[in-house]
Amino acid sequence: MQSDQVLDCKGLSCPMPIMKLAITMKKFETDKVLELLTTDPGSKDDVPAWCERTGNDLLEIVEEGDGFAFFIRKA
Amino acid sequence: MAKVDSKKKGILAELYGTFFSKSWPMWVGGILLGVGNIALFLVLKPWGASGGIYVWGANLYNSVFSTGFGFKGGPLPAVGMFPYSIICFLLFLGAMGAALMSKQFAFRFPPVGELLKGLIGGVIMGIGAMVGKSCTLGGYFSGMAALSVGAVVFTIGLGLGTWIAVKYLMFEIMKFPKISSGKTASVLGAGKGKGAWQPYVGALVLIWGLVIAFKYTDSSSVRAWYAAIGLFFGFVCQRSRFCLVRALREPFTSGDSKPAIGAMAGILVSMFGFTVIKFMGIRDAMLWVWPHFWIPAIIGGIIFGIGMTIAGGCIVGSLWRAGEGHIKLYFAIIGAALSMPFATKYIAAPLYSALPASMQTKVFLPDYVGYGASVGLFLLFFLAWYYLVKWNERTGKFSAY
Repeated sequence: MQSDQVLDCKGLSCPMPIMKLAITMKKFETDKVLELLTTDPGSKDDVPAWCERTGNDLLEIVEEGDGFAFFIRKA
Repeated sequence: MAKVDSKKKGILAELYGTFFSKSWPMWVGGILLGVGNIALFLVLKPWGASGGIYVWGANLYNSVFSTGFGFKGGPLPAVGMFPYSIICFLLFLGAMGAALMSKQFAFRFPPVGELLKGLIGGVIMGIGAMVGKSCTLGGYFSGMAALSVGAVVFTIGLGLGTWIAVKYLMFEIMKFPKISSGKTASVLGAGKGKGAWQPYVGALVLIWGLVIAFKYTDSSSVRAWYAAIGLFFGFVCQRSRFCLVRALREPFTSGDSKPAIGAMAGILVSMFGFTVIKFMGIRDAMLWVWPHFWIPAIIGGIIFGIGMTIAGGCIVGSLWRAGEGHIKLYFAIIGAALSMPFATKYIAAPLYSALPASMQTKVFLPDYVGYGASVGLFLLFFLAWYYLVKWNERTGKFSAY
């Protein structure tokens, strides 16, 4: 899947991935797709929950290597 | 025949998946920890962690530098003999076993700035724990369950400290993003086609933990129980991602109420058990009511809250995440262990001797209003807390995003 920007949060543990995601998305343009990379197992629960709460579209979760790639479209 | 076999395997795989493929709800984790906490109190005393980590640090100093640190005015217990050190280590093992069983284990090396934050957060937590005479267990999870008013003050302090540290983290991410970015590495992790060994090693780790618990039965059934329950706690924490820090932090960040509800579930279960134990006189009623009301509780709580938010885990949260392989949280534990003995001697001791006795008292609510009203008041407190986090989740009033 194509993305407009990659946010690399590999190696980071809670709360850093979600905080960085939230701050990045604030400045992000509507309809653009952000690719978030994480290795924290907690992000598998936290990122979908955050997207649902904030109304952003979680397009796809790819489990790759040691972590995840989340494709999120800003709503 | 082959068909039957594959069906059997399917059912077992389903059972395995129930426990290890998805995270358990946090409230389930909270309830299980609450039940374990009652068991601990029946065996000896409620759950705590900072004493155990203090004993690690003080033993290290004493053996390397002959510093002569004692413990609570007495001689320093050995790491392998002190129940609260045992529970900390076994909790770490239980979490490691659970992470491996779920193929979620990996040594995750974050950027150097994060390691530093782990260490500094740990040092701050160590100071807060010694000043406040508790951590998120003694002054929050177990402390409120013990009907201690000081624990309520300490928890409010934790909330304030968390709020301050969340502001700092937001500032740091926006102004100094380099601290949390840079070279990272992940070692031994599972992924596509990798890590099939993890569940087997996980089972071995858990068996090792049980063997440790069993070995203690030779010398002390208390230590054996602490070891076994510690292993169980670590397992439950990792599987439910139970986090007392998130319970206080999420209202200020994402607004998610689930961690707070998980914490409340655990405290409530503990509270009912503890109240019966105390009311029936099975154990001393003043246990886990610390002499920190109210100045040390509020100051210690704020300091500890700042530390745990910067580190990304309280003592227990750091232990189970270290079990999962996050190197940052190893640094947090090391920071706390190294700061605690000095914080006791050079910060907490002078503070307590300078404060008037009326500002460092034990306040056990049933002494003032009886057991029934105390439980009622705590229930009202939790109802208000629940309402607040739910209302905030909907309105985002206090949430940063």
